[in-house]
Amino acid sequence: MKDRTISTRSGTVSRRTLMMGATAGLATLAMPRVLRAQDKPTLVTSIRSLSNPYHAVWKTGAEAYAKWAGLEHVTLVSEGNSEKGIADIKAMLAKTGGNMVLNSDPNDTPDARPIVEACAKAGAYVVTQWNKPADLHPKDFNPNYVSHIEFDGIASGKTIAEILFKTIGGKGGIVALGGLISTTAAIERKKGLDAALAANPDIKLLDFQVANWKSTEAFDLMGNLLTRFGDDIKGIWAANDDMGSGALEALRAENLAGKVPIVGVDGIKTAVDAVRTGEFACTVTSDPFWQGGMGLAIGYNAKIGKFDPVKEPPEHREFYGKAVLISHDNVEEYYKTNVDAKPEIDWNDLWGRVTGAIRT
Amino acid sequence: MTQTGSGFLTIHTEPLKSVSDIERTTLMTLIPGRIAGLFGGRRWRSLAPLAVLIVLCVLIAIANPNFIELRNLVRVANSAAVPLTLAMGLTFIILMGSIDLSVEGTLSVSAMVVVLLAANDGNGNDYGWWAVLAAIVAGTAMGFVSGLVQTMLRIPSFMATLGMWFIGLGLSVYMLGGSAIRLNDASIRDLALHRFFGMPLAVWVATGAFLLAAVIQYHTKLGRHILAIGGDEDVAKLSGVNVIRVRITAFALAGFFFGIAGVLAAAQLGQSHAVIGDGRLFAAVTAVVVGGTALTGGEGGVVNTLIGVLIVTVLANGMILLGISPYIQQTVQGLMIIAAVALSLDRMRLRIVK
Repeated sequence: MKDRTISTRSGTVSRRTLMMGATAGLATLAMPRVLRAQDKPTLVTSIRSLSNPYHAVWKTGAEAYAKWAGLEHVTLVSEGNSEKGIADIKAMLAKTGGNMVLNSDPNDTPDARPIVEACAKAGAYVVTQWNKPADLHPKDFNPNYVSHIEFDGIASGKTIAEILFKTIGGKGGIVALGGLISTTAAIERKKGLDAALAANPDIKLLDFQVANWKSTEAFDLMGNLLTRFGDDIKGIWAANDDMGSGALEALRAENLAGKVPIVGVDGIKTAVDAVRTGEFACTVTSDPFWQGGMGLAIGYNAKIGKFDPVKEPPEHREFYGKAVLISHDNVEEYYKTNVDAKPEIDWNDLWGRVTGAIRT
Repeated sequence: MTQTGSGFLTIHTEPLKSVSDIERTTLMTLIPGRIAGLFGGRRWRSLAPLAVLIVLCVLIAIANPNFIELRNLVRVANSAAVPLTLAMGLTFIILMGSIDLSVEGTLSVSAMVVVLLAANDGNGNDYGWWAVLAAIVAGTAMGFVSGLVQTMLRIPSFMATLGMWFIGLGLSVYMLGGSAIRLNDASIRDLALHRFFGMPLAVWVATGAFLLAAVIQYHTKLGRHILAIGGDEDVAKLSGVNVIRVRITAFALAGFFFGIAGVLAAAQLGQSHAVIGDGRLFAAVTAVVVGGTALTGGEGGVVNTLIGVLIVTVLANGMILLGISPYIQQTVQGLMIIAAVALSLDRMRLRIVK
């Protein structure tokens, strides 16, 4: 009897919830008209999640550009779900009637194609970053697919490795923490490390382990590596800063923080702070603030006809951006301009950070 | 009454067994079963996880004597601290035959609360140990809500706690603004950095959590009622157990342990970000199951879980010591789970394998 009362009541609740849901749905349906009414294109950012520092900064950069340009800006978050990512973009295209500029970090490599095709069909302008299939090219979707931006993982992995080797005096053992095995960034950064190792025969790679980009895994892993190699570990190479900071805390628990230098990639705040205290030797960042803003800037300028994508050289259509190195020498300067204050970027300088066409 | 309940069940399964023996027994279930029979069946099985742990330790120690160095044992204990505290909470839920998927969400809420209320680099708060208390209360409250949702709205624990997982994760993403906030309170960080009798304080806290869980399971009415519900909920209800109250209390208790684990995780990493709990759910469930607690409920306990956590942690430590390639470590872990469950589960008695 008691059970029945409860289930009946929950039935009512769900009907009410349904009504509320329907009302909310109708309200959303009413929105596109508002958006369609305006002539200026809507800026749209599509990223993986807001729960990582990297994409959080990306969004700030996008908003900074939108404010500078005086345009509407919308952020779509795929939460690591490719279908959701693509569906949200298609919904935005429908809402704006194609009058939009998209800057997308596709959740997964294959996602770039449906995203670009949908944008080209609707007449929207799109810039992709990091992930796209090798056979998908901006020049095949003129003029809508404006550019694709990546950062050279091999160069990053190599640069930080060289600084690490220099910090430990050119000889001794190091351990390396790699990212999720199947990702391009993990593979490329490791290639860079391997290249640096080949050029420095006195440096010995004691072990290469995978901590899946996570500080928690790196923390446990580092403790175990300390057992195996003990004082033979002179330096730690991490494929991203989050793993580097996990390793740093494992060192701290053993009173080794600051004695064994760490290098990483991404330039997250923890790592920048650690570079200041000397616990990290360096970190290198693709500058997500720039990525978030400039991706939109390139797309918007193409859309309003400031430049014609068709006439741009290949290294403006698919290029490596310039990574920013943060080491002991420039960390104070970087801190002042990027952490204490919002970075100042010249949004008119579209191609200033092009370092070359992407390797094929 | 509990005893009568399970006895009643056993009698019922016996006559069925002879039939299923002919139809379902395969060579693979028969041989280990017979061997187990030689050594006294059930008792041998309950010791299987411990045997696995000992064999594992011996093998690793032979391959790399560094393993039994005191320094390394301290490291193993240190990396077992968070999983052990989490698994203590989860054990009660699994014993009850339910599941709590909110592990990662609750842990990240608790880690978020402690970091945002103690001295940190995101805001001006500095409430010291009140932050720790608040974090544990937040964890307990999350568990309490899971319990209410499950019993009052009659939503299965799988869905109820899945919802709580995402609610918790969303909450910490929102509060942390997507970035990692550093914990600057030195006394809280001491949980990971300060040592007492050679062990980091986190290990002592985890040991305390284990003792508390053991007392609750073996010496309180709540512990016995949880086991009774897991054994057979109808029988427990007929025997006068207030099932709803026990369920809510158990979920709140699990949340309490997750809350402590969140504080420990934040202290160890010196920071909190929304994904601080990533992968912890799977590790905790693995530890509970490898320890010999049945996912169907009613069998096992916190001592089993202690052994399960140690097996998983020692294995991870050992694979690094042995220099096993990262490319096959996960495969070894998978084999380990199957082997441990195969040894500890009496598959001859299973009427149905779903």
